[in-house]
Amino acid sequence: MGEVAAKIKVMPEGTDVNLDELEEEISDKIKDEQLKNIEREAVAFGLEALMLTVVVKDDEGGTDEIEEKLSEIEKVESVKVEDINRLM
Amino acid sequence: MSDEDKPHLNLALIGHVDHGKSTLVGRLLYETGNVPEHVIEEYKKEAEEKGKSTFEFAWVMDELSEERERGLTIDIAHKRFDTDSYYFTIVDCPGHRDFVKNMITGASQADAAVLVVDASEGVMPQTKEHVYLSKTLGIDQMIVAVNKMDKVDWDENKYEQVESEIDELLKRIGYKPGDIQYVPISALEGGNIAEPADTSPWYDGPNLLEELDNLKKPEEPVDLPLRIPIQDVYSISGIGTVPVGRVETGKIKPEEEVRFEPSGKTGEVKSIEMHHEEVPEAGPGDNIGFNIRGVGKDEIQRGDVAGHTDNPPTVVDEFTAQIIVLSHPSAITAGYTPVFHAHTSQVACTITEILQKKDPKTGEVKEENPDFIKQGDSAVVKVKPQRPLVIEKLKEIPQLGRFAIRDMGQTVATGAVMDLKEKE
Repeated sequence: MGEVAAKIKVMPEGTDVNLDELEEEISDKIKDEQLKNIEREAVAFGLEALMLTVVVKDDEGGTDEIEEKLSEIEKVESVKVEDINRLM
Repeated sequence: MSDEDKPHLNLALIGHVDHGKSTLVGRLLYETGNVPEHVIEEYKKEAEEKGKSTFEFAWVMDELSEERERGLTIDIAHKRFDTDSYYFTIVDCPGHRDFVKNMITGASQADAAVLVVDASEGVMPQTKEHVYLSKTLGIDQMIVAVNKMDKVDWDENKYEQVESEIDELLKRIGYKPGDIQYVPISALEGGNIAEPADTSPWYDGPNLLEELDNLKKPEEPVDLPLRIPIQDVYSISGIGTVPVGRVETGKIKPEEEVRFEPSGKTGEVKSIEMHHEEVPEAGPGDNIGFNIRGVGKDEIQRGDVAGHTDNPPTVVDEFTAQIIVLSHPSAITAGYTPVFHAHTSQVACTITEILQKKDPKTGEVKEENPDFIKQGDSAVVKVKPQRPLVIEKLKEIPQLGRFAIRDMGQTVATGAVMDLKEKE
């Protein structure tokens, strides 16, 4: 059935959150085979978001489990799936 | 014209899972010069070594998927190409229903769809489901690519048979004849994608890329009233209150008065930043933070929508919606109160009345005021939010007119707002 790539935006609680540590914690929480990439994205007024590229199996459905795991991390303000696309 | 000057369209690829969507994505990218250069080079090298003279598209497909396996071209998930009039992003829709939530609240809401149908198989259950979903969610233009014509020897009768089968389905569901186009293609061989296929002399219509170029331009979201669903609200020292979100429709500029609903607070925009740069205005698709005077961090929240004070976001008392039940273990009756996900908002809403049950395969009304609806049914329902909610009519602001219904960790249903009653 194929795989699905999701772009997930993780916003920190504020401008003072250490993003290196946050990245590490995310890497610990999400399986390597799912987490393909983390990039930083400048938002506004010093706020930076982490943009995750995550790959999940289409037939297992949804990104709920990953979204939940990310939301549980301390210093994470919000988690939002920005984009979703089937991989060829 | 550069990409940026052309109107941008999100193009949904829909259809049954084995009808050749991936091959068509590969073919469109290849014909428009968007397959990475090194993949083509690699192919040429190998073809030379092995003394192959004819181009084999299947090889490119294999190579792309192999590269992906190795994690090299994860960005292939971003599928972009141009025609003369438009710049397209392909939204290759996942098959699993739980992704519907993401497709509705994410950035990739589709403007038009290409329905891929295998010429040898015709309409399959998933074909019907996708078509009905597209119509419910307001995708009004559709190109039907009758694919794998090579498998049926480019038989004109076969093509016409599939065309009339789909035509009947689409019209019953409510598609207007002028909004549907048909093209016989072979994604594998390339016929009628960028050039006419010499195997189908009986077809003299536009090829697929021409049909894409002929799509009607949808109403530009920038011309609609300002709506920014708020994702997060920050208090930044030295700056003040900063709401963050993606502009869905309209334009926002400094010094304007904006109102946040349902919180009901009004403030003045002091400055707007995008990627840490101050900008004189922001429009649809822009992810921004803006500094607002006169509103405290705790007075507004995620799920609020910002709009201009002279045309503020609509807070609803109740609304009427068309929904499709995607997955539910038993029956849905009046009184059911799941969580509705619309833009950045998640609000429990009660289905107070089921007005009509429709056959999702035909769109015909099956029952007025039914006692219950089940998985696979489509229905017109009346909905009462349990907390204040901003939502708009699909016909007026489509970007804020769609929702997904979630319960028990699943996407139970999806739908769109047909009519609404404003909260007083």
